[in-house]
Amino acid sequence: MSLYEKIIAIHPSLANIDFTTVIRLQDNSDGKGAYIAKWEHPTLPRPTAEELA
Amino acid sequence: MASIITATTTSGLTQSADNSGVLQLASGTGNLVTVPSVTGTAMVSGNMPAFSARAATTQSLANTTYTKVTLGTEQFDTNSNFASSTFTPTVEGYYIITGSVIVQSGASAVIAAIYKNGSEVASGTALPASGIFSATATTSLVVYCNGSSDYIELFAYQGSGGSVTIGSGFATQMTGCLIRRA
Repeated sequence: MSLYEKIIAIHPSLANIDFTTVIRLQDNSDGKGAYIAKWEHPTLPRPTAEELA
Repeated sequence: MASIITATTTSGLTQSADNSGVLQLASGTGNLVTVPSVTGTAMVSGNMPAFSARAATTQSLANTTYTKVTLGTEQFDTNSNFASSTFTPTVEGYYIITGSVIVQSGASAVIAAIYKNGSEVASGTALPASGIFSATATTSLVVYCNGSSDYIELFAYQGSGGSVTIGSGFATQMTGCLIRRA
């Protein structure tokens, strides 16, 4: 399951537009995979590491 | 005031000197180059980094994830400032940077984004037309780099709902060149 899919499972109300505005998922192509580079959603809390594990 | 070396049309090279510390090179009746005594640097090709690199292979681009584009083929890198798909110029100044990303199929919108020091500083978006196989997003900017720690990368983004493929070749590339010293 991708990071995006994990986040959508936690916050189903998120839309694609949120991932170009208040949320940024990033993969530096360094083998470490995607991570949350920015979370500035006005109402939904940033998922914890435990929730994303 | 300046020390002036002039290429004349009657007497060959002439020169006049003073103690200003400023050097001017002139041709005929017009001054061509002034080398300031305190600030500024005259640029020559030997100290103007330029590079061009493109994708050597295709690359998977996950949904809604800004992903660093792997640029495995260097077309040129005049100052050895490009490595690991990252441009880290060793000469301080203002650089023009261009980036483009082609997504081969299945994309909705595709974004090409230029990053400086890990943050986006420019982006461009493309939407594939109906029935068109691919879409190419392009972007460019002029950006200051300090000549030591500042670095530039190319990222791509798409939000089709699944992974798509970034194409290799000349449609996925990043280029840059020093255009003015600081």
